[in-house]
Amino acid sequence: MSTPAPNHPPVNRRQFFRDGARLAAMTGLGAFLGVAATRSRASQNTVWQIDPSKCVYCGQCATACVLKPSAVKCVQSYEICGYCDLCTGYFVPQPNSLDTGAENQVCPTAAIERKFIEDPYFEYNIDENRCIGCAKCVEGCTRFGNGSFYLQVRHDRCLNCNECSIARVCAGDAFHRVPASEPYVIKTTAHE
Amino acid sequence: MTAPTVSSPPPPAADPTALRALRQTVLVIAALCGLAVLLLLVQHLRSQADDPLKSPQLLALKQQLLAEPKNEALKQQIRLLDLDLRRSHVRDVAFNAFGAWFVLVGVVVLVFAAKGIARFRVVLPSPHASPDAAERVAVTALRARRVTVGVAAITGVAFLVLALPAKTRLPSSPAGVDKVLAKLRGEGEDAPPLPSPAEFAANWPRFLGPSGAAFVTNAAFPLAFNLASGEGVLWRTPVPAPGFNSPLIWSNRVFLSGGDATNRSVFAFDLTTGTQVWQRAVANVPGSPAKPPEVPDSTGFAASTMATDGRRVFAMFANGDLATFNLDGSPVWSKNLGVPKNQYGFATSLAIWQGRLLLQYDQGEPENNLSKLIAFDGATGRVIWQKPRPVGQSWATPVVYEVAGKPQIATLAGELVIAYSVADGNELWRAQMLSGEITPSPIFAGGLVVAISPSDQLFAIKPDGAGDVTKSHVVWKTDENVPDVTSPVSNGELVFAVTSSGTVTCFDLKDGKKLWEHECELEVSSSPAIAGDRVYVFGTKGGMAVLAAAREARELAKADLAEGVLASPAFARGVMVVRTVKTLFCVADKGGPVLEAKRP
Amino acid sequence: MSLRRFGIAAFALLAPLWNGGLALAEQRFPPPEFETGYKMPAITTPAPRGLAMEYVDVAVLVTALGVAAWLVHRKRSRRGLIVLSLFSLVYFGFYRKGCICPIGAPQNVAYGLFNPDYAIPVTALAFFLVPLLFSLFSGRTFCSGVCPHGALQDLVLIKPVKVPLWLEQGLSIVPYIFLGAGVLFAATGAGFVICRFDPFIPLFRMTGSFFILCLAGGFLLTSLFVGRPFCRFLCPYGALLRLGSLVSKWRVRITPDYCTQCRLCEQSCPFGAIREPLVATANPAALAPDRRRLGWLLLLLPVLIAVGAWGGSKLSVPASRLHPTVALAEKYLDPKKPAPTPGSATPETLALTRADENAEAILTTAAAVRRKFDVGGWWFGGWVGLVVGLRLVSLSTRTARADFEPDRGSCYACGRCYLACPNERVRVGLLSPAEAAGLNANRAASRVAASART
Repeated sequence: MSTPAPNHPPVNRRQFFRDGARLAAMTGLGAFLGVAATRSRASQNTVWQIDPSKCVYCGQCATACVLKPSAVKCVQSYEICGYCDLCTGYFVPQPNSLDTGAENQVCPTAAIERKFIEDPYFEYNIDENRCIGCAKCVEGCTRFGNGSFYLQVRHDRCLNCNECSIARVCAGDAFHRVPASEPYVIKTTAHE
Repeated sequence: MTAPTVSSPPPPAADPTALRALRQTVLVIAALCGLAVLLLLVQHLRSQADDPLKSPQLLALKQQLLAEPKNEALKQQIRLLDLDLRRSHVRDVAFNAFGAWFVLVGVVVLVFAAKGIARFRVVLPSPHASPDAAERVAVTALRARRVTVGVAAITGVAFLVLALPAKTRLPSSPAGVDKVLAKLRGEGEDAPPLPSPAEFAANWPRFLGPSGAAFVTNAAFPLAFNLASGEGVLWRTPVPAPGFNSPLIWSNRVFLSGGDATNRSVFAFDLTTGTQVWQRAVANVPGSPAKPPEVPDSTGFAASTMATDGRRVFAMFANGDLATFNLDGSPVWSKNLGVPKNQYGFATSLAIWQGRLLLQYDQGEPENNLSKLIAFDGATGRVIWQKPRPVGQSWATPVVYEVAGKPQIATLAGELVIAYSVADGNELWRAQMLSGEITPSPIFAGGLVVAISPSDQLFAIKPDGAGDVTKSHVVWKTDENVPDVTSPVSNGELVFAVTSSGTVTCFDLKDGKKLWEHECELEVSSSPAIAGDRVYVFGTKGGMAVLAAAREARELAKADLAEGVLASPAFARGVMVVRTVKTLFCVADKGGPVLEAKRP
Repeated sequence: MSLRRFGIAAFALLAPLWNGGLALAEQRFPPPEFETGYKMPAITTPAPRGLAMEYVDVAVLVTALGVAAWLVHRKRSRRGLIVLSLFSLVYFGFYRKGCICPIGAPQNVAYGLFNPDYAIPVTALAFFLVPLLFSLFSGRTFCSGVCPHGALQDLVLIKPVKVPLWLEQGLSIVPYIFLGAGVLFAATGAGFVICRFDPFIPLFRMTGSFFILCLAGGFLLTSLFVGRPFCRFLCPYGALLRLGSLVSKWRVRITPDYCTQCRLCEQSCPFGAIREPLVATANPAALAPDRRRLGWLLLLLPVLIAVGAWGGSKLSVPASRLHPTVALAEKYLDPKKPAPTPGSATPETLALTRADENAEAILTTAAAVRRKFDVGGWWFGGWVGLVVGLRLVSLSTRTARADFEPDRGSCYACGRCYLACPNERVRVGLLSPAEAAGLNANRAASRVAASART
């Protein structure tokens, strides 16, 4: 019952037009690939990371990340830690006493572990499962201590969103894409 | 899973039980999912309003503990509350995660069940031929064009709504940006022009005067005046607030600051009558500490002398507050620089260069790396540059001067005299000449920077060197009668220095040779000042002496003011303004105040 | 040692500095020398997803596209496409959390082309180009079973509501406008708005901001009753694929050999993509008004582009505010900006402090972005005008076709129509030729009856 197309020429013309357009599109895509590829390097896959020297401890890392809790955690550079008894990252300003009482801790989730090493040194470790990335300890340590606490995007958690939602609101403009081959900005000297 | 088609496996005969079961499943799951979403929503709103990690209750308790550090019950209460809050935080996180999974699984089951129902409900299509295809296509196209036009119109309206009210202060051209930046620096077209050097020199805009050596020419103030009787005194007025800072004179105004731990203010007086024109409290400074630091009474909160650039006055206090007012008293900007770590209290006075305010903010010990030199834009308070300084706390005021047309600022602290470029803050030269607690300020006279290492040596440096000039540019040094608190002063030919016990010594500026010394029998802690050919020295117990600024010792007058003076006098426009501990008074020379300069 | 133990008093003295903002921090406490043989722990640095895995993603994409093309054009299997959709939903959706996906990739490319500092990742380039290339040969096979967004919407579709064709055709310019906006904001570095307002990513992550989760819920609920609402009315990458599939080498053919004009397939398509036959009008005079309209619209096209470009250029001020630096600069220059309150710095006041300290750099950068928007606004507005104009033109032409055919651009190649066709059923053995013939006889009879009625 199908009525064959009454006149073939238009179909052929259309077909010709399509073939031409496809060829043009492929050429276009090829050219595009050429242009784009010159700006693209295989090793240049990037991930998001925080530059600790720019961080202003605004607290947005805890709230703006698409993940709850955030993929940003505090890390501890043991090399530059002073192992202080009075750790300004661990204790609130004017602590009642230098012990692990909740009233003395600055961390809202008690994610920092204080461990006695030898007189008068204490080791401080971050429990990442508890850390929410609020940067309260970072502020204390950077302002008054050696700055061995600082925030880093943890890549075992980060989804590497195309557009990082923390970067958009970072008060210090500290978020940047870094090469995936060097995914962390680790402090080796205090306050670089 | 497939959509209705003619011949899906023959639609299951509507089995009422199966259909009912599916329907009930859908209802139950939908209700459960809805409930879960509702609970998640409630949870979200609750945690928005009351985040367990930001509990104000806990903050309040912690604040209370600061007041009662020994309250064990309070500590226990904090610990319990903290534990509770953290538990509830963990619970919230787990609840959200569980809720999300629950809803996900629920939606999957729901979709499956609903698809099952849909299969029971297949309505077999029975399409009829509809011959008017062309007409339908035409109508569809017409309507589609209308919708397209509608979408375009909505887009256009959105463009307009967004674009029309949009006003911006941000220019897009580089030239426009430069203009905005200039305005931010206070150099915009609409900003009043900076005072000319002549106008600057006709006033007393900072500690140790316009020349930076506490010297004015062509002034002949009376030698005899009596504060108690008012004889020879143009006006006198009580000092409204304590402070060791010296008065400033600009046009027809006298400015000074004062205050204590609770209140700090800036005052302006009329130069001709002495009446107070305005008083402004320096309060609500952003970042100012709620609890002021402990400062010894021997320094107080207002030891730093103010400065003015001819358009605004700047005042600094020992709690780190820096405040700016227009000459008419309207506030411009204020900020807190952080409480200076200084065991005797911050006392360095402000320096000025054109529209820039320069602050030597030395504190702590050298190893603390807290000290710095900061250049602020006077109009906005923007930091133009700041340079860390390798020194600890100090109390001397830097001096600004020009060498070969380029402005320099010379600072004393620790063991070092360091000069910086005012333009960019780069260090120009340094000399290791100092020891002790640096209080006397450097001066600039006759092309030399003259400075004092307290009770140790007086020396002059030629400021055109670079790098370490300790061995190369020190023109002379002497260790005779070197003061420990007061600054040297110079008229460009002679240098005068006063020790705390009142010994005035005169040196030749060229070679540092001692020319004479004279005992004034006064206890002195304020720097002297030179008006014309007279050196005025004020004592802390009320005595004063006037000596001739000449190559030989001559005491011209001696008097008792009955009120001690701890601040240096200000000379300008034919008057001398002196702040005693209780009174601000003004003495005029024969012509009286000269106010020809334009009023602010 | 004394320093470390100088204790609470000194800390209390320092405490007011918390408000300071200018406090410079330096190494204050030298690292200790331990006497008990304490071993310092090392800092852990969990590696990001390896580059190799990114290539695996590209390989999976290419394979899935190939399988989809095979399923659509050779196997003609709706069931196979469902299985592939499920796989894509799990792999690209729930496993890869929707990042990276081709929908956002145009932004990476635009950002890379206009910002030399950003090297486009090879994977992003591949994700952008490969589905487009496939569309030139096999139509929207990416949409059919590879795109996790499409798969999600397709799989949850329960009871499709028919959207009038005219509404669908009229709204089909929206994705192009969205694409233009996405490219504009990406090229100027203001952000990736397509990713930001993607409604399905938060479902894959099962977390997100309140607003975006509400949007996600809304789209999911709509998808139950409207076929692929995101793909049809919003998806910017779908807009590109639509163009590609207009000229694709192979197209979805409902019937394996010849069309019986039974209209059964028309009912089966939940996306309204199947067009009925249209015979070219024999009377040329009747076409005159249409021709005139086409002529006018062609003349209107440059006018629309010009008007759009002009309107777009006015957008640079509000649009550039999406760029964080511009927003900060504007706030900094606003005399009513919030003053920092003692003791409690907010992110906003901290950012303003940064602006104050780097005013020159920030204002210069912001002005440069504004200039980019000045130029970009023209292009974007012109693009909107072009899209509107071309759509009006294309809506004023008519294509004669003999059979029921899926519209090349609108067909998602989901395969639902295949088994609706009696001839296809005969081909796969679900229907005997005799039954089909009967069906055809019925159709013919009803057609005769219908023509008798008129």
